[in-house]
Amino acid sequence: MSAVPVPFDDTIVAIATASGEAGLAVLRVSGPQALLVSQACFKGRSRLAEATSHTLHHGWAVWPEAATAAAAARLDEVVAAVFRAPRSYTREDVVEFSCHGGSVPARRVLAALLAAGARLARPGEFTLRAFLAGRIDLSQAEAVADLIHAETDAAGDLALAQLAGSLSVRIAALEEHLTECVAEVEARVDFAEDVGGVEVPPHVVAAIEAVRADLAGLLEGSEYARALREGVRVTLAGRPNAGKSSLFNALLGELRAIVTEVPGTTRDRVSERLELDGVRVQLSDTAGMRETNDRVERIGVQRAQAAMDEAGLVLWVVDGSTPLAREDHEFHQSHAGRRALWVLNKRDLGSIALRELQEWSPPPPWVEVSAQTGAGIERLRHAVIEQLGGVAHGQRGQVSNPRHAEALGRAGRLLSQASVAATSNAPGEIVALELREALAALGEVTGTHVGEELLDRIFSRFCIGK
Amino acid sequence: MEGREHLMYTASPGAPLLSLPVDAAAAATRAGAFDVVVIGAGHAGCEAAHAAARLGLSTALLTVKVDDTAKMSCNPAIGGIAKGQMVRELDALGGLMGRITDRAGIQFKMLNRGRGPAVWSPRAQCDKAAYSAAMLHALALVPGLHFVSGVAQRVRMQHGRAAGVELSDGRLLEAGAVVITPGTFLNGLIHIGERRLEGGRIGEHAARALSDCLAELGLERGRLKTGTPPRLLQRSIDWDAVTPAPGDRVPQPFSHWTERLELEQVLCWATRTNERTHEVIRTHLHRSPLYSGQIQGAGPRYCPSLEDKVVKFPERTAHHIFLEPEGRVSPEIYVNGVSTSMPEEVQLEFLRTIVGLEQCEMLRPGYAVEYDFVLPHQLDATLQVRAVPGLFLAGQICGTSGYEEAAAQGFVAGVNAAHGVLGRAPFVLRRDQAYMGVLVDDLVTREHREPYRMFTSAAEHRLLLRADNADERLAETGHELGLLSREQVEQVRGKVAAMAAEEKRLARVRVSLARLEWAPACAPGSDGVPEQAAPLADRPRESRTVCALDWLSRPEGAYARLVDAGVEPGLSTAWGDSLEVRVKYRGYIERQQKTAAAARSLEVVALPVALWDATLNGLSAEALEKLRRWRPATAAQAARIAGISPSDVAILLVHARRCGRGR
Repeated sequence: MSAVPVPFDDTIVAIATASGEAGLAVLRVSGPQALLVSQACFKGRSRLAEATSHTLHHGWAVWPEAATAAAAARLDEVVAAVFRAPRSYTREDVVEFSCHGGSVPARRVLAALLAAGARLARPGEFTLRAFLAGRIDLSQAEAVADLIHAETDAAGDLALAQLAGSLSVRIAALEEHLTECVAEVEARVDFAEDVGGVEVPPHVVAAIEAVRADLAGLLEGSEYARALREGVRVTLAGRPNAGKSSLFNALLGELRAIVTEVPGTTRDRVSERLELDGVRVQLSDTAGMRETNDRVERIGVQRAQAAMDEAGLVLWVVDGSTPLAREDHEFHQSHAGRRALWVLNKRDLGSIALRELQEWSPPPPWVEVSAQTGAGIERLRHAVIEQLGGVAHGQRGQVSNPRHAEALGRAGRLLSQASVAATSNAPGEIVALELREALAALGEVTGTHVGEELLDRIFSRFCIGK
Repeated sequence: MEGREHLMYTASPGAPLLSLPVDAAAAATRAGAFDVVVIGAGHAGCEAAHAAARLGLSTALLTVKVDDTAKMSCNPAIGGIAKGQMVRELDALGGLMGRITDRAGIQFKMLNRGRGPAVWSPRAQCDKAAYSAAMLHALALVPGLHFVSGVAQRVRMQHGRAAGVELSDGRLLEAGAVVITPGTFLNGLIHIGERRLEGGRIGEHAARALSDCLAELGLERGRLKTGTPPRLLQRSIDWDAVTPAPGDRVPQPFSHWTERLELEQVLCWATRTNERTHEVIRTHLHRSPLYSGQIQGAGPRYCPSLEDKVVKFPERTAHHIFLEPEGRVSPEIYVNGVSTSMPEEVQLEFLRTIVGLEQCEMLRPGYAVEYDFVLPHQLDATLQVRAVPGLFLAGQICGTSGYEEAAAQGFVAGVNAAHGVLGRAPFVLRRDQAYMGVLVDDLVTREHREPYRMFTSAAEHRLLLRADNADERLAETGHELGLLSREQVEQVRGKVAAMAAEEKRLARVRVSLARLEWAPACAPGSDGVPEQAAPLADRPRESRTVCALDWLSRPEGAYARLVDAGVEPGLSTAWGDSLEVRVKYRGYIERQQKTAAAARSLEVVALPVALWDATLNGLSAEALEKLRRWRPATAAQAARIAGISPSDVAILLVHARRCGRGR
């Protein structure tokens, strides 16, 4: 199967600025649907779809289905620049969104634009379109070639980093299974007289379904990706004087440079936003948990309980230099099955609690820190990220790259269609069409192309040539 | 152009062929001057010479023995899966193979009829002698086409161009363009057991000098292998012991222009190998040149020898065999399925273990043949050798196998040779236009490890490349080339209009589901049992009639059954089936049309030749090496080369634009 050439009738989007910390990130949308796609993700005083060329519009980026809702969740504050064809970089309709710097806001807006129907641009695709439209000056040709090359390199590094670890292994395995399926179907199409039988045998349908289910699992199980998109609540809780507030400050202090202060905190529950390895985290500090007759303190404890219930992750803080208390045991029982990380504070003073903890079977995940000295805070950060679904910094096993998520999602849909077609007795070449497109979508993630090896498989599996 | 009198040949098929006047004019050094000289009168050579001559050029067709013209050296059949589609395409462009097949066909069969429409493929068993005779007859009627008998020795070069062909007897045929189609003759070496014989076919010569000449021209050559099964004496077979394999009840002609088939239809027969057969093979395996290391060339995996099948699939206890007559009156039976290069006595031994063949006598043993080919990345999409303007190659010399693949290339090479002489634009078919386009493109942009054969899976747009619409895809092109008459193209336009009108009509007609469900469910050609319909009472009243076109789009919908609901068909059976396919698979067809349209945006971007000598920064060393090896003519071709990424293409486009403007 040949590489899919670049089509020009669809609308593409990409983050146009280099990744990394910067004041602004720019997303560029280009193509016949650029204005509609952008409008779907934009909430502001003006409508982008009707905007005249070369105008700027202030507003908020939102999820496409939320754009018309009154209380849409705002992804980021943006300025949208509208360039109508042919007076644009690509000579197509183009909208450029400027959002806040850092990779997270831009990625969230990107995800929204993809959800609205844009396709992620391939490396160099804007430049290619611009070039084919005759937009680029010839004297710039050399520079353009270098630019495309650079874009490709960056994308390549990114893809490799994203694919490190288990994800690439899993996708490669799916690719392998799927190639087998295609070979089975193609063999029956091209060598009907030699292979014979039904168009798509049941074991192939089952194999297609298995791959589809695996893909769905890969995407749905991607909590990290969801956390990346939606952010996650993390609550610090524990007995009074365990050191929650010091930890709160220590975590924020470490990351103060990229923290956004969110107002509206109560006296007893303090929340702040911070970014942890690209994930937006709302960190809450709560009142200490204990039985009390004090009415105000009791309300505080109730709110702490609520904050724990809402949290995607509870950091249960314990004074590690003292034995575990009744509240600690109660938390352990009441919170079973939910995500919690035990933070054993004051390690500089002793590890009495840890010894108790280690006798439990199984012991809960724990980290020893000292908010006072700062020891173990970095380990705590990693442990939190790990609990959020990522394996560890730089080695995420899940799909967090929007390009990959989009391609895998597309592959999954194509496989559903393939299995529907197969079970409704559609001809083999129809099933093959869906399968091969799905395989091509996986190939966009792994960078492999299925071609010659398809025939190799057919010839090794079936006795061809009557 | 030199005026020459045309050879008139009026003999009908079956008449003695040796009376044909041959241009053996004189043994003078300069034996003639032509616009185009075609070396070899096999399936590629015949189409090449025919196309060039029909385009008005004086054309010489050089062959050793004129009565071996269009000889079917291996199996006695034309067409098959993907190949049949290609023959229909060739026919729609004005080629000969389809028409000749109709004149010589003795068993027609639409393969894959029970499967998807994209892979319905016509095939016909042919009377080999009738095929050769009909081809010779057709060629002899073409003004400007001259047969020359002789052996090509070398290509005459002049000013860096191919300027003629020198024959082994010293004669020279001058030419504006040369097309080489030597088949397995190019340095051919036959293996039968331990015996080795030079030759392209058994008992014939080998074109060694020609191959050396290509090497001298700087062309990189490789070696391939193919094989053919033994032929048996008709009366030595126990016909009562084997199973008849009939063709279609209503045979459909190959050609769009054939009105009726003339020859009586015959049966083929089926039997199978057994464990005893395999035991004989295993016992003597060391004597097979395939396993003794005697054969160097790579053979086709889709057409394995029986030795290969037994060794690679030891769990199989039997392999199918078809007994195919080589003609209506021929005493020879082709044993399809037992291609072999075992020694003769071993061949006879294993054949006689097979049911029905216990007493068989062999007329000719099977054998393997190795031959040279030119690595096709050295050709451009017109099949012209890039380094030698005016020199075109077609058929097995380009690394393909199959009569149909050869004919398709012969046509492309012949038209382009003529266009070169006439100063016309290159003739190149796109991948979404024809299997012929896929074929040539695959040859010149891919690495090949075995003889290339067409498969439907090679065509990414195969739902568009059907046998039923070959005329619609290509007849206008054939007419523009000048190879299809006005009447012919009008016929195709008529079909297009009739189908559109019928579709419109069916969109307005409503049919009663009750009548369709109660009607007998045995539409001709369909072998599926319709699903049990729900009782009428369970259905809402309004669903009892349905738009005829909508019904046709359902899995159970069939054009041939509309008549049961009182709708008289407005189209012939073939066109009706064709309409049904379009209606039923509309969504998928439109999807492929969309992909094809997207692919075309790069297809039209030409890459200048000068690009490959320029400095191309931004490309990796690996990409650069591949691009310089294949020298793709278009951006789309570049994109198809394995290992070339979309961004490499983008970079290439940038350089192409600069390069184009700079000159």
